[in-house]
Amino acid sequence: MRAEVRKIHDLMEREAYVADPAVATSVYLAIELGKPLLVEGPAGVGKTEIAKVLSRALGADLIRLQCYEGLDATTALYEWNYPRQMLRIRLEEGTSLSIEEKEASIFSEEFLLKRPLLQAITHAEHAPVLLIDEIDRADEEFEAFLLEILSDFQITIPEIGTLRALHRPYVVLTSNRTRPLSDALRRRCLFLWIDYPSFDKELRIVRSKVDGLNDELAAQITGLLQTLRKLPLTKVPGVAETLDWARALATLHASHLDAETVRETLGCILKEEADLRRVERELEAGRLEQMSQVLQ
Amino acid sequence: MTGTGGAPEAHPAPELARQSGDLVEAVLRFCRALRDRGVLLTPADAVDAARALRVIDITRRDELYLALRAVLIGRVEEYPLFDSLFDDFWRDVAADGEGTGPPGWVAPSLPGVQSSSGLALQRWGDEVSGEGELVGMPTFGDQEAVAEKDFSTFGSGELAEIERLAARLARRLTARPSRRWRAVPRRGRIDPRRTTRRALRTRGDVVELSFRKRKPRRTSLVLVCDVSGSMDLYSRFLLQFLYALQNHFTRVETFVFSTRLARITDQLEEGSYRAALRRLARDVQGWSGGTRIGESLRSLLEGWPRLIDHRSVAVILSDGWDTGDPALLSEALRALRRRAGRVIWLNPLLGSPDYQPLTRGMQAALPHVDVFAPVHNLASLEALVGHLSL
Repeated sequence: MRAEVRKIHDLMEREAYVADPAVATSVYLAIELGKPLLVEGPAGVGKTEIAKVLSRALGADLIRLQCYEGLDATTALYEWNYPRQMLRIRLEEGTSLSIEEKEASIFSEEFLLKRPLLQAITHAEHAPVLLIDEIDRADEEFEAFLLEILSDFQITIPEIGTLRALHRPYVVLTSNRTRPLSDALRRRCLFLWIDYPSFDKELRIVRSKVDGLNDELAAQITGLLQTLRKLPLTKVPGVAETLDWARALATLHASHLDAETVRETLGCILKEEADLRRVERELEAGRLEQMSQVLQ
Repeated sequence: MTGTGGAPEAHPAPELARQSGDLVEAVLRFCRALRDRGVLLTPADAVDAARALRVIDITRRDELYLALRAVLIGRVEEYPLFDSLFDDFWRDVAADGEGTGPPGWVAPSLPGVQSSSGLALQRWGDEVSGEGELVGMPTFGDQEAVAEKDFSTFGSGELAEIERLAARLARRLTARPSRRWRAVPRRGRIDPRRTTRRALRTRGDVVELSFRKRKPRRTSLVLVCDVSGSMDLYSRFLLQFLYALQNHFTRVETFVFSTRLARITDQLEEGSYRAALRRLARDVQGWSGGTRIGESLRSLLEGWPRLIDHRSVAVILSDGWDTGDPALLSEALRALRRRAGRVIWLNPLLGSPDYQPLTRGMQAALPHVDVFAPVHNLASLEALVGHLSL
């Protein structure tokens, strides 16, 4: 591994992110080439975490834009602070200022409510990390709008003028693939697919994130999760669920897994009634233990 | 931005400088090989790939692999294709970094490419259909008898219902508001920006409110209907449906095909349904012939290149019995999928409980379709209303 990639890798590991070469290389290239990084994969595999860890590793601020359907420029970019503008107009009532002067004062940066994208662009000290989370939830028109911003990092506000980024932000986009993203957006970004981790990687994640587990229990937890992901579940548990469960078991001071403990705490990893019933059936038949054993 | 520009100059490996001509050429050839297999790449991507190679350790095969993949590939479905091509292409790069001698950049002889790309494409098909991208809609059970009645047994008296549904569908399509606002004289949501501005004139007192409204979304509809022999039972009713849509919705273009594609927008546009049918019979030849869906779709994309964009919903009405080349169909649909906002395939046969989309044409088509739904009775049209939006 090249020294710089190794450095990113180590920085991420130090922030308790279990990175692999693919993640480290993509992050490194995103920084070096100055391109946004698009991370896709199933829910709960640590896509969002990449941006958070990156910001801590670089000592940069994290600015997050959570996408949802109907997200528009006023919530993503900027909006005028209308109540404050009104107040200012009232205060200036008796003064001899002309309308133009009043207008200039209330349409200045002071009255601008900066939403995440504008914050990222006008960030003064150094380049921040801009996380655009779940871009697939925003609609296509917002995606097109985002493309404009990502290509030149400048925004024109009619009343003020054009604001240009002082420092190009490091951009991380995540998507759960609920809708296909445009080719234009994909072309603009580096791409990284993160899948559910292997047994070894997941075990390392559990060990590094959760205290108070013995080796046997950590391996059992991981083994069972790996087994569960092979079942046809409606909502497949991600790494986030693994960690929730491991923390729950640590809190309960469990020393090993048995059918009883699993049944009582299954709610940590399965969030659908049908999935719960399905796994309980497997538990009763004793199949899960067998399969997890084989894995280890 | 710290990394850009500065980085490549910061690490000029001497051997790289000597070999960079070969290296850039190799990258360009690799990009071309990927593009030949359907990966969407621009010269800018090749430039980025070359830049990436300058900042990684190119004697390490794993790093070369990860870097090129991150830059050149934009979707996980293309990973298998990339993997197989990468193996063929960069065979000579040392696998462990302890390579003996300089890596040979001028490696790429590509004799085995034909077979490997064929394999990769097959694998894509498997994966995509395995992910369950097709949306089968159950037919409703609680409708009155007429709703359940198959179109193939329909009489002309029931056509009014089709008309009503087409109108609803059109309304639904036009009614979706976009995210953009426009000012309206009254009745809408209050526009705080303009209101504040106007209040300035009256010393900050809000005398008059300004309003704004969402602009309507400009969705357009492109209908492509199969009128080959195997569709005869349904064609009449689907045509009625097309006619109704054409007359309730402004941005719609209609095509029919059997072995050749024909645009029938103008024929449907004016006069009564009967008059439209007469015009169709006069102007359009080749009804009830064989089916060449792939070629017809391709001539749609080539003949009307600007018709379909991301705001269009493309609707294909066909049973998928294709006598043409499935590879061509799959290719044409993939191109269509890329351009259109949504591709919907309506299949009258899907309504029968024991129908499986196993025809070669359908098999080739399914991975590239957003919605695969039945269109054999009124209930299915009704259910479609929910799906036909962007």
